[in-house]
Amino acid sequence: MREQQVTGSVAEMTSVEEFVLKYIQKNYTVPADIDIYSLNYVEQGYIDSLGFIKFIVELEEEFGFEFTDDELSAPAIQVVGELIGFVESKIAQR
Amino acid sequence: MQRLSDLFYDSAAANPDKPAIWCDGKVNTYRELAELVSRYANLLLHNGVKYKDHLGIPMNNSIESVALIFAAANIGAAIVPINPTLPVAAAKTTFQAGDVKHLIARKSFYEECEKFGGINIEGICVCLDGTYPGTIPFSAVQAESAERPEISGINGDETLILTMTSGSTGTPKPIDLTQNNKYLRAIAHIRMYNITTNDRVLAATPLYHSLAERLVIMPLIIGATSILLPRFTPEIWLNCVREQQVTFTIAVSAQLAQVAELLAGRPEVESLRCIVSSSALLEPLVREKLINKLHCDFHEMYGTSETSTITSINFKEALNKQTSVGGCIPGAQVQILLAGGEIAGINEIGEIACQSPLICNGYYGLEDVFNQALAADGYFKTGDLGYLDQDGYLYFSGRKKELIITGGINVYPSDVEKCVLEMPAVSECAAFAYPDQRLGEVVALAVRLKPGLSLRERMVQVHCARNLADFQQPHKIFFVDELPRNAMGKIMKTKLAEYVRS
Repeated sequence: MREQQVTGSVAEMTSVEEFVLKYIQKNYTVPADIDIYSLNYVEQGYIDSLGFIKFIVELEEEFGFEFTDDELSAPAIQVVGELIGFVESKIAQR
Repeated sequence: MQRLSDLFYDSAAANPDKPAIWCDGKVNTYRELAELVSRYANLLLHNGVKYKDHLGIPMNNSIESVALIFAAANIGAAIVPINPTLPVAAAKTTFQAGDVKHLIARKSFYEECEKFGGINIEGICVCLDGTYPGTIPFSAVQAESAERPEISGINGDETLILTMTSGSTGTPKPIDLTQNNKYLRAIAHIRMYNITTNDRVLAATPLYHSLAERLVIMPLIIGATSILLPRFTPEIWLNCVREQQVTFTIAVSAQLAQVAELLAGRPEVESLRCIVSSSALLEPLVREKLINKLHCDFHEMYGTSETSTITSINFKEALNKQTSVGGCIPGAQVQILLAGGEIAGINEIGEIACQSPLICNGYYGLEDVFNQALAADGYFKTGDLGYLDQDGYLYFSGRKKELIITGGINVYPSDVEKCVLEMPAVSECAAFAYPDQRLGEVVALAVRLKPGLSLRERMVQVHCARNLADFQQPHKIFFVDELPRNAMGKIMKTKLAEYVRS
């Protein structure tokens, strides 16, 4: 696990990270030589365009927030590390 | 009839050091793959898996999955592969319909089952990655002998794969494919497309569908090389074709449309000698782009999971038949049936029905349902509409059955509708195909609410995310005051896309 950031509670941040890493690797384990935090999980097919909606909705439900349409269309949301950071900041804003 | 496992082991014995399979950067030679197949077969036998037992597998595209197919064939067992994103409740229903006795899955699947009340498995459970309580760990495979276990009495009539389809009732229909079915289908395509030991055959669709299963079996029973794409994106596909020097593939048209888009402005691909498009008609413009960039023979084919390929066409050789899906393959015959069951005339549209040695063994446990799909003379009624021209070429006109094909995967509207109707505020709803440039079609949903009640789009998405698989998620949701119906009161699904736009 990567180091904790300073926003939000430690428990929440850990669970966001765990949830995202587990979900992305449901069907395929990301090889150890790949930096998972800079991985674009959509471009690399770990979650395909058909599964993206389900992933986002489950993430929102799990952590009790909603993405706006603009947030969903931002390319950064498809990068593992950026997504984790983003969800953590959404939780911190609650 | 030759046995699939014998053909594979013969190929391995003749080409021990040749690459048998590539997947996700990993290569297995024929010797290594044969050893893996044997270890799996031994593991299953030593843990009580018997001849004709059914193994449920949430299946990803991996070398292990391919080894499991041949291991099952070798011991006369059957596999019931499912989409690994299927929610637990749907997986349970599917396994029940497929009479699953044992389970082979990744840890995440077992965790998911635990979260949703567990899963009742009578036989063994194997964990493919790591360990999980109550399961046999993957590492146990390494302790098994790499010697092929010999099982006598396998004659090819045994079910090898139960591939799931759905239907108007939403109940799973397991398509029963015997070892002989799989053998005949593989051999028919090897002959049709002249596959040789020099070919590098790409399978880029999910392995829980019969197309990819055929594409891995074909090279491995003749000593050619199988290239298995772990996950599809057009970029990954194109890189794989270039780097792995792929020579042949059958792809679904939605994939090819995305590849064509990506190819613009990129160097041409040199390695392919033949490509076949399946699943849905390819736009002529897209086909032209692909032919220009891929420099190879370009075929289109028509078939269903129940029948395998029925017609095929090589566009270089049939210049005046550019909108056809081809003539019958050897041994197959097509009839066009009118509503009353009589045979249609030339160029007259009706339901496509066919006869072929490649037709499946039926729907497992649902003999009556399969018989209902047969015409009086035994032809299988596909549920698709089309016509034949004076030369016997088939033209596809649309679907009689209600079906959405998104990215090459079939979605039955009733599955989605049943789920959405569970929401108390919903009075009625209809799932329908909405045109999409990338995926061909996406799932759209029209919802009519009960008077005085409200429902947010997000709530529908959350409910679907919880209860439906990835490929079944509605991409577009429309709230309507009423649904368009015909004079008989039936919802006009084909008019819905137009209706919601207006």
